[in-house]
Amino acid sequence: MTALTPHHPAPDAISTPLVLALPKGRILAECAPLLTRAGIVPETDYTDENSRRLRFHTSAPDLDVIRVRSFDVATFVAFGAADIGICGGDVLMEFDYPEIYAPLDLGIGACRIAVAEPADEAGTTDFTRLSRVRVASKYPNTTRRHFAARGIQAEIVALNGAMELAPGLGLSRLIVDLVQTGSTLVANGLVETEVIAHVTSRLIVNRTALKTRPEAISGWIARFRAALAAP
Amino acid sequence: MTDDLPPHPALLPVGFTDLLPPDAEAEARLTETLTARFGAHGYQRVKPPLVEFESTLFAGSGAAVAEQTFRFMDPESQRMMGLRADTTPQIARIATTRLAAAPRPLRLAYAGQCLLVRGSHLAPERQVAQAGIELIGPDLPEADAEIIIAAAAALEAAGVASISIDLTMPPLIPALLGDTAGQPALVRALDRKDTAAIAALGGALAPTLRALLEAAGPAEPGMAALAAIALPDAVRGLADRLAATIAAIRHRAPALRLTIDPVEFRGYRYHTGVAVTIFAPGRQAELGRGGRYLCDNGESATGITLYPDTILKVAPRPAARPRLFLPAGTPPSVAQACRDQQFATIAGLLPVADDITEAKRLLCTHVWRDDHAVALQGF
Repeated sequence: MTALTPHHPAPDAISTPLVLALPKGRILAECAPLLTRAGIVPETDYTDENSRRLRFHTSAPDLDVIRVRSFDVATFVAFGAADIGICGGDVLMEFDYPEIYAPLDLGIGACRIAVAEPADEAGTTDFTRLSRVRVASKYPNTTRRHFAARGIQAEIVALNGAMELAPGLGLSRLIVDLVQTGSTLVANGLVETEVIAHVTSRLIVNRTALKTRPEAISGWIARFRAALAAP
Repeated sequence: MTDDLPPHPALLPVGFTDLLPPDAEAEARLTETLTARFGAHGYQRVKPPLVEFESTLFAGSGAAVAEQTFRFMDPESQRMMGLRADTTPQIARIATTRLAAAPRPLRLAYAGQCLLVRGSHLAPERQVAQAGIELIGPDLPEADAEIIIAAAAALEAAGVASISIDLTMPPLIPALLGDTAGQPALVRALDRKDTAAIAALGGALAPTLRALLEAAGPAEPGMAALAAIALPDAVRGLADRLAATIAAIRHRAPALRLTIDPVEFRGYRYHTGVAVTIFAPGRQAELGRGGRYLCDNGESATGITLYPDTILKVAPRPAARPRLFLPAGTPPSVAQACRDQQFATIAGLLPVADDITEAKRLLCTHVWRDDHAVALQGF
């Protein structure tokens, strides 16, 4: 095949295990009790962040888990490389893939996407007068949408970390970032001025997987729902 | 920039692809297989032009693809023209104008290329092949069923091993909600099947919406669940029509794998009745899509579009035609006889020292030797 997607002989995909994508880092630890209650016990080295393996079998023969970066969970699920996943609401907002359904709010990983600016400048700008503003963020789409709704073009400085440095060093006027406690902002002389959205982690599923393997996918959604309801 | 490299001559604009051997032939044969099957089901081929005035291209159901359509001004008429991003609106136009007097139900088929302004992250292609059918006329469950059966038959003829057909009723949720424009957050939550947000935003309808969400899945249990949900009359009518369509499909094709999703309403702006998406189970592939709509003059129609580019990725490849090297000087009658036996003949233009080496160099499978086509495998 000369097209972008390689041609594969049709596998017996109905019987292959489902793939659950889990985010590395903060949410991974919060997921653990939920996974256990849902009857998913991954192989032992899954919790070892130093393990080089990325894909693990679980106690459920029809489910494997993969461990990827939190932003990549949505991409894996949107493309169908993973059938289900656990993903922060911030990531879903940012990518807004129509191929992803988000049937369950897992209530874990609670935080907010917020606008922040230097404490000594806060309140000094009348934003209604601005045509555009420069914002450092790893959420360019969310940021653009938020400011566009106020009639302002957001010029995005795309950063992957250390956002809090940007205003002080003249890189941007504002930042838009994920805030959990706000202590990083305070430590860098910033103050939160607006909450764009409160987010929690969601159970997400791929649209095609739900349509073509409805029994299996719905079964897992039900198990997660039951796990949420359990004490 | 001073260090810009000259563009590489192989580089194409984003979303465009050269099809090479053997893919180009496989695609052509596939399209032929699909349209032949449509023809066998009584759908007659029409060929609309690539370009027409945007006023006709975007009329009726065409409005949905307006933002995906390349537009330019016709220097001749000074009117805006569009390069089709979807063929269905063109077929609807033909049916209601030039073929307005043709007897109904009118069954038309088409195959051709469409151009999109932008691809998506998931489907970056901007040139998309379509092969489809439209059934213009009676608004009946039997008509909805017929196009689905015909599409399934075409996919079977193309060798697609298994398909899964998802049926939706896009007007159902708008009928239940009444006003969709005033509740964007709820509409969005429904689109993403976000049960938490639906519970929070659904108000008095939340339990009904939740029950509808849970009815999605395999057709028979899904329809049973749908039947048990209390619905206003207008909404019940839509659900009943979905049930009647499933019954009509089952009557003709009991073994088809069917799912329903009563909550899905993507495309409700142009789908006025049962809509369908055909998936290849286990593959990230939408093989086709369609549904009921209204032509510009209000006449009801239903249709389905198959995507040959996608089908090509999941269908088994037909065996390649054997390639026979004919050394220079082979009589034309021999060459014709070999072609009649389904060989592709590769003629030597000049005599060469070693026919076998030459045949291998030209990727042949056979060579003409001692009055026989001899397989090259032994050499």
